[in-house]
Amino acid sequence: MARYIFKRLLATIPFIFLVSLTVFVLIQLPPGDFVTSYAAKASANGETIDPATLDSMRVRYGLDQPMLTQYFTWISGIILHGDFGYSFEWQAPVSSLIGERMLLTLVLSLLTLAFTWCIALPIGIYSAVKKYSLGDYVFTLIGFIGLAVPNFLFGLILMYLAVVYFGQDVTGLFSPEFANAPWSWARVADLMQHLWIPIIILGTSSAASLIRIMRANLIDQLYQPYVVTARAKGLKEVTLLLRYPIRLALNPFISTLGWILPHLVSGAVITSIILNLPTAGPLLYQSLLSQDIYLSGAFLLLLCLMTVIGTLLSDILLVLVDPRIRFD
Amino acid sequence: MTLAVEAIAPGATVAKIAYASQWRLLWLRFKRHRLAVIGLVLTCLVYFIALFAEIIAPADPERANSRFVYHPPQALHFIDTSAEGGWSLRPYVYAYTMKRDPATLKQLFVPDAGGRKTYLRFFGEGDAYQLWGVIPMNIHLLAPEKAGETFYLFGSDRLGRDMLSRVVYGARTTMSIGLVGVIISVVLGIFLGGISGYYGGKIDWVIQRLVEYILSLPTIPIWLALAAALPKGWSPILQYFTITAIISLVGWTELARVVRGRFLAMRAEPFVTAARLDGAREGRIIFRHMLPSLASHIIAAVSLAVPTMILAETALSFLGLGLQPPAISWGVLLKEAQNIRSIAAAPWVFIPGGAVILMVLSLNFVGDGLRDAADPYSQ
Amino acid sequence: MVEFAKLGIRPMRHGRMLAAALALQVGLLAPGLAQAFGEAPPLKQLVDAGKLPPVDQRLPKTPQVITPYERVGQYGGVIRQAMRGDGDYNAILRAVGAQGLTRWDIKFTEIVPNVAEGWTTNADKSEYTFKLRPGMKWSDGQPFTADDILFFVQDLLPDKAFFQSPPPRYVVNGKLMTGEKIDDNTVKLTFGGPYRTFPEEMAAPVGQHPVLYAKHYCKQFHPKYATNLDELMKQNNVKDWAALMRLKCGDIEVPSRWANLERPTLDPWVVKEPYKGGATRIVLERNPYFWQVDTAGNQLPYTDALQFTVFGDVETILLAAINGQLDLQIRYLNAISNKPVLSENMAKGAYTIMEMKDLNASSAGLMVNQTSPNPALRTLIRTPGFTKALSLGMDRSEINEIVFLGGGTPRQIGPLESHRLYNKQLATQFIEHDVKQANAILDGLGLTKKDGQGFRLYPQGGRISLAAIVSIGSPAYIEVLELIRKQWAEIGVELLIRSSERSLFYDRAQNNDYDLSVDAITGGLDPTQEVRSVLVVHPLDSRQSIPWVKWYTSGGKVGEEPSESMKQRLALFDKWKVEPDEAKADDIYRQILQLAADAFEVIGVAQPPAQLGIRKNNLRNVFDTMPYGWTYATPGGSLPQQYFYAR
Repeated sequence: MARYIFKRLLATIPFIFLVSLTVFVLIQLPPGDFVTSYAAKASANGETIDPATLDSMRVRYGLDQPMLTQYFTWISGIILHGDFGYSFEWQAPVSSLIGERMLLTLVLSLLTLAFTWCIALPIGIYSAVKKYSLGDYVFTLIGFIGLAVPNFLFGLILMYLAVVYFGQDVTGLFSPEFANAPWSWARVADLMQHLWIPIIILGTSSAASLIRIMRANLIDQLYQPYVVTARAKGLKEVTLLLRYPIRLALNPFISTLGWILPHLVSGAVITSIILNLPTAGPLLYQSLLSQDIYLSGAFLLLLCLMTVIGTLLSDILLVLVDPRIRFD
Repeated sequence: MTLAVEAIAPGATVAKIAYASQWRLLWLRFKRHRLAVIGLVLTCLVYFIALFAEIIAPADPERANSRFVYHPPQALHFIDTSAEGGWSLRPYVYAYTMKRDPATLKQLFVPDAGGRKTYLRFFGEGDAYQLWGVIPMNIHLLAPEKAGETFYLFGSDRLGRDMLSRVVYGARTTMSIGLVGVIISVVLGIFLGGISGYYGGKIDWVIQRLVEYILSLPTIPIWLALAAALPKGWSPILQYFTITAIISLVGWTELARVVRGRFLAMRAEPFVTAARLDGAREGRIIFRHMLPSLASHIIAAVSLAVPTMILAETALSFLGLGLQPPAISWGVLLKEAQNIRSIAAAPWVFIPGGAVILMVLSLNFVGDGLRDAADPYSQ
Repeated sequence: MVEFAKLGIRPMRHGRMLAAALALQVGLLAPGLAQAFGEAPPLKQLVDAGKLPPVDQRLPKTPQVITPYERVGQYGGVIRQAMRGDGDYNAILRAVGAQGLTRWDIKFTEIVPNVAEGWTTNADKSEYTFKLRPGMKWSDGQPFTADDILFFVQDLLPDKAFFQSPPPRYVVNGKLMTGEKIDDNTVKLTFGGPYRTFPEEMAAPVGQHPVLYAKHYCKQFHPKYATNLDELMKQNNVKDWAALMRLKCGDIEVPSRWANLERPTLDPWVVKEPYKGGATRIVLERNPYFWQVDTAGNQLPYTDALQFTVFGDVETILLAAINGQLDLQIRYLNAISNKPVLSENMAKGAYTIMEMKDLNASSAGLMVNQTSPNPALRTLIRTPGFTKALSLGMDRSEINEIVFLGGGTPRQIGPLESHRLYNKQLATQFIEHDVKQANAILDGLGLTKKDGQGFRLYPQGGRISLAAIVSIGSPAYIEVLELIRKQWAEIGVELLIRSSERSLFYDRAQNNDYDLSVDAITGGLDPTQEVRSVLVVHPLDSRQSIPWVKWYTSGGKVGEEPSESMKQRLALFDKWKVEPDEAKADDIYRQILQLAADAFEVIGVAQPPAQLGIRKNNLRNVFDTMPYGWTYATPGGSLPQQYFYAR
């Protein structure tokens, strides 16, 4: 196993190089460049920018250089100086921008995760064990409603109701007075007051799919002969469930467990935008749209690293949970 | 085993039961699952509607009407009572007139004086169309008796277009092209995940690195580049088809990883070893012996993928991708509803969301029914 | 005044009235005598604590006196606004107001002095002498003098590293503006020829350059003066001094302008919580050295601060507005379609709806690409009568009723009727919906063959089909196109709608990959500032033909040669720019408009409905029907520094 892990880690290095190159090319694949989108933005607001300014921006940002030159400047900056480059849009070092947003993203992601798992797994188990009971149908219905209503729409409706009927401030993660304040207990409390809406909105759709998958996999296990045998031998139902079928039914979760973090960072972008969350998603989205190449490049590299490590971790976990699996 | 008893018809020989085909057994078991049957009927119905959208829709889904913007849904009445107290069987709706509040510019709908009715006729003449783009016709399942009158059973949208007609036409795109992507990604996911998990080792290594690679690619710039690259001569439908096909090329990864995980666990099971020792070909082992054990998961994955795929469009349209007008799909309709103006003034524009839920539930129950019918262990 | 405060009288309310009375008397009796000024209570406290010089030393000797829109106001309060996350820095510029040498008056009728106390010009208007306000200070308390203007004119403007090519407004007849210091408070700017519109240019939001850079602070980033430039560049992670200069001292439309807390400005409010990556809130606080006072001698601004919350989505801004979380908001609420929702929640949000006058000529217009990539279509578009038929085939009242909720009126383009340059033909030709006549015209052009779906065919075959590009950021335009698509089907012309993300939309326009583009048509009340709809001069937005723009801006080297009519207009435009006489210039411009009317390249839809905005009920001195447009930098042109909260 140790050899396997070592090999995997070693393979990561050329892999990340490959990804960084593809990503860098892909980011610039859409037509136009940062300067075009900058001009387009101003123009869309009825504002005008001198064409001379635009040309000089292009030179200033090195966008007139060939793409490979840009790539090597960027990647050598990262390797040699740990310098992830400069964001055109924000005129600030990329590392400072990403760092600020990552903490809140992590907090939000983990809380959402905890929320969905706490709700979804028990319901999934219940639905599988009591298949076709009233409860199962109710949860199925709610689950599919959660899935079939776009998060964006759900968020908008929830916020509209909260505003119109309760007059509540529902946007963002902080009240204005805490937005730029240093961390304090009051700020944490304020955060908690704002956090529930995003958690519910982000959580419902993933909870729905978790419920379905848990239910399905448990059903696959429940009627296996080994369960019948165990039951026949008089094992208590709860012990029986917990010891084998549930553990095995967790297999699909574990397979994709490693991706949860990158998913939560890059997914849910539109929800974060509508809910005005200062997380990484909207910044990434915006940087991709405006072709702020170094900012989006750094984000994507980070996500790639998270994916690779996450996959490795879930492969290790697969073996730990189910001893039948081996990789050699 | 009640099944066998049911299947014995008077006078039938025991031999006949023994030879009942697997498909027939499946169907008999499936029929016992009432919700699955309802789901199947609903699914067929939606496909029927999609097939004959032009006839079933009461109007041209494109026809805007400045006099009936955000018209609320009208109730359909069948029993017409006259002033003299008599009655007749004749479908109608009560007519409304739109007024705009001069101060707030809000549209208000007031019933016409004297409770004027718009009479309707089954298979009456209405907006002209070409059935399947070929046969010129103007017959609609339900049309106003008088030409030029309108009615809105599902209300109208911001341009005064009939929502019912739009939902009906939307079913056609959503239930055909919209599902192609699901099929492609499920097939790819099962196939690649299956061989990755069954063989392990080098093949697993290659496929898993491919999965990681695909997951690391940013989709947004790909979509943006694609939007620019699609030839403008292509019809909106063809463009949309291409986009869904490409979504599914990314979408298979998750299923592939899950299938692989389960296969890794399963390949050590006695029944697999037995099959292998028995000399079964590998393809047969994978798809005939191992895959059915995952049936529940696959059905769940498919029924989860369907709404995701339908809704992928609402997200894509943020990037100016997805279906372009005049093409209509449920995703497009939901996208059009995503604003405060609709929530506040016209909640009926969310009806397409109901259609999506209904469809997904139906497909899910059909899937559950199939699974139960196919599972030799289920009671 | 100082004495009153020392006697312990509650600061402002009474003090100000006395100040007003005093100011009046002083003004009447002895001009030149030190005037007594009012100031905000928080500043007063700082003065008393010895942390700030007294108000009369902070103000210039002759502060600019602003006549409040309604009445003299009271100090205090924060104006909360919303902005978007993606590069919306101009929202700050609009709220702060562009403090240029000159500005528009509140009513948007004439140019008045602003940072400059006044100016004179020579006979052919090629030299302008600006008189500055003696004793005027930057926001850090350092004096503002002619040297600051010359720092821009001499050290930045001609520098190739800073401006690859200088902004066109400082170039006349190919020559760059030069500057000369007459004395500390007088500066003379000289051009290569007559420049009648220079004071107007200086009032535009992008005309702020000469007074943007405080020499005493910014010179440390300029190689001519700097001592430790390399070190500073390294510290700030930039590669050249021009980037460093922009990072520290800003430029007009860049976010860094609002990110450096140290940068001295002449603005009414200065940045306290900066606009930088990931910021969710931006705060600007009162500039204690701001150089304007009200008629009672109170230093402006009245309000303590501006606060911007960054929102990700437009819908959320609307929600925040109806929830009463915003005190002043125009951007992103301005569409008329928001009116029902905004009206319904007025009481709840405690706001008033402002109905502003749109400066645009048409709320939506079709720019027909004169150099369409499809050769057959290009010939057709340039055939007289074709665009006329397209216009007659449009039902403008239906579009107006549905998209603009009946708020506009059908019209083409060009100056509005109230403007002195109004051209009736340009504004009203072919606006009726006349399918019969449109069909007759198209038949007359020989387009009589039709295909199975009723669309006309070119004589040589192929369906007549126009591809329209539109940005998804503008749902109203997509609605307009959807309606026109249906209407044009009646005259046998197909319209294909190609909506796309904003950058792609501009990219398609740049690559001349479209037949039609829909957009707001500018130049209704500011026809001579926004000329792009009648003259192909705007590199992004003159979409009646981008190749023509390229031809014009490159002096005929690239692009495509325009039509005779357009060439005449461009020649007239060049003449107009250097014409010193106002009346003659107007005559030239009238000819341009007439040529545009005859050529009929841009099809208008409707005179814009009111643009909406909200303000808190007790936020006063707001010009509710102010002009809406970039030229006015709405609401900057209405002087937000004199807004106040009534108590």
